[in-house]
Amino acid sequence: MVNLEDLKKEAKRILEEGKIKYIIGYERSPNGMMSMPAFIKNPEDAERLTWDPSCVYNLTRFLVDEKRRKAKEKKPDTRPVAIVVKGCDSRAVVVLLQEKFINREDVYILGVSCEGAGVVDEKKLTEKLKGKKADKIEFSEKDHFLITSDGEKIKIPAQEILAERCLECRANFPVIYDEVLGEKVERRPEDPFKSIERIESLSKEERWAFWKEQLDKCIRCYACRSVCPMCYCDECVVDTISFAVAADTTAEEKAQKIKWIERSPDSSENFVYHLVRAIHLAGRCIDCGECERACPLDIPVRLLNKKLEKEAKELFDYEVGFDPEKPSLASSFKDDDPEDFIR
Amino acid sequence: MADEFEPKIVAFLCKWCSSAGSDLAGVSRMQYPPNVIPITVMCSGSMSPLYILSAFKKGADGVLVSGCHPGDCHYIKGNFYARRRIALVKKLLEFIGLEPQRFQMSWVSAAEGTKYTQIIKDFVEELKPIGPQTKLRRSS
Repeated sequence: MVNLEDLKKEAKRILEEGKIKYIIGYERSPNGMMSMPAFIKNPEDAERLTWDPSCVYNLTRFLVDEKRRKAKEKKPDTRPVAIVVKGCDSRAVVVLLQEKFINREDVYILGVSCEGAGVVDEKKLTEKLKGKKADKIEFSEKDHFLITSDGEKIKIPAQEILAERCLECRANFPVIYDEVLGEKVERRPEDPFKSIERIESLSKEERWAFWKEQLDKCIRCYACRSVCPMCYCDECVVDTISFAVAADTTAEEKAQKIKWIERSPDSSENFVYHLVRAIHLAGRCIDCGECERACPLDIPVRLLNKKLEKEAKELFDYEVGFDPEKPSLASSFKDDDPEDFIR
Repeated sequence: MADEFEPKIVAFLCKWCSSAGSDLAGVSRMQYPPNVIPITVMCSGSMSPLYILSAFKKGADGVLVSGCHPGDCHYIKGNFYARRRIALVKKLLEFIGLEPQRFQMSWVSAAEGTKYTQIIKDFVEELKPIGPQTKLRRSS
């Protein structure tokens, strides 16, 4: 079990030593049981840090923002930033390292174990509590969560309220860290691609109907892109849709800013956007499920990425986010990659 | 038969092999269906998935990506990268429910004019029974 006091003590120590710029972690939200991201600069504020099953967010996105901010500063503070990571988030750090987007010395990784469980799905929990408000949620003994609601303690089996991605998780313990808290509990899901197989078992027309219904809902708010730690391109391919072509627009500009996708949230445009996003995340998505959580219309965006994760595993035996030294999926090949689909 | 469905195929051919192969088919006066719109790209490895999706969006009934045989790439390993990427695109398109016949890949060398015509003939034959592609086509 992660001892919260150890986390606070460790946070306090590294801040007092002054080797760390600040800590990106979680703190209790003033509203209800969910936690929220915290940025801790002063050692005395380390008390605010928390770690419980409501820490759903993938904080590695803030490493991307930090790098951007640092690049703009005239005299940047070059000390590393500390970050609290779960197993899945640590794999996001690995991918950022693998792509040389961040350097290992720029980040101090405080790993926390998910204790053989994971994080909760807020919607599932709300449903389970039938309208009652939870004040606190804790890890309990193996496979259970302890929920405090109106002063009453309820024990719920983790399987019932775990986030979808946690049910299919293959890394519930950080794969890279400077300091780690909690024990390594082996928890191998029986079927890591269950949600994908469910859709694959449908007929072609049923699959189309499913995706058509889901993706037609998309309003193209790009929340999935904003929240994704891997969507860090300086200019996204869909940004050029707001590029206005005027009389004095040069041919070069027109050639560089091609409107691949129209701005209107039509069915065909939504499909192109989501498919391209999925392809761009192939071999990079670590399945933190943030896109799905951030989606205001509950589109199962995660499934598209998960499908490519499955194919990368099955076709190319490639697993994302375990080894920062390995070449990435799209920048490597094997002589015996499958080519039975090629004529 | 005037009202028979004639599929429209967009073929992305690599400059060094497949494009030359289609050229050979042309100069040798080989007969093949006129349903193909060839687009030359520098290498099959330069194929962005956006090109493919864009073609479907603009109304292509089928898309073909063709490159050099493995080991023959002008840029040494471009087609190996293409092979990986295209495999993923193909799987993804099938996953969302597009007919698998609509997206194909082939290796055609500069000397394989006959193979190129055969691929196009087969492609057209496969597309005719499944009808026009409306799933990804832009409606307005």
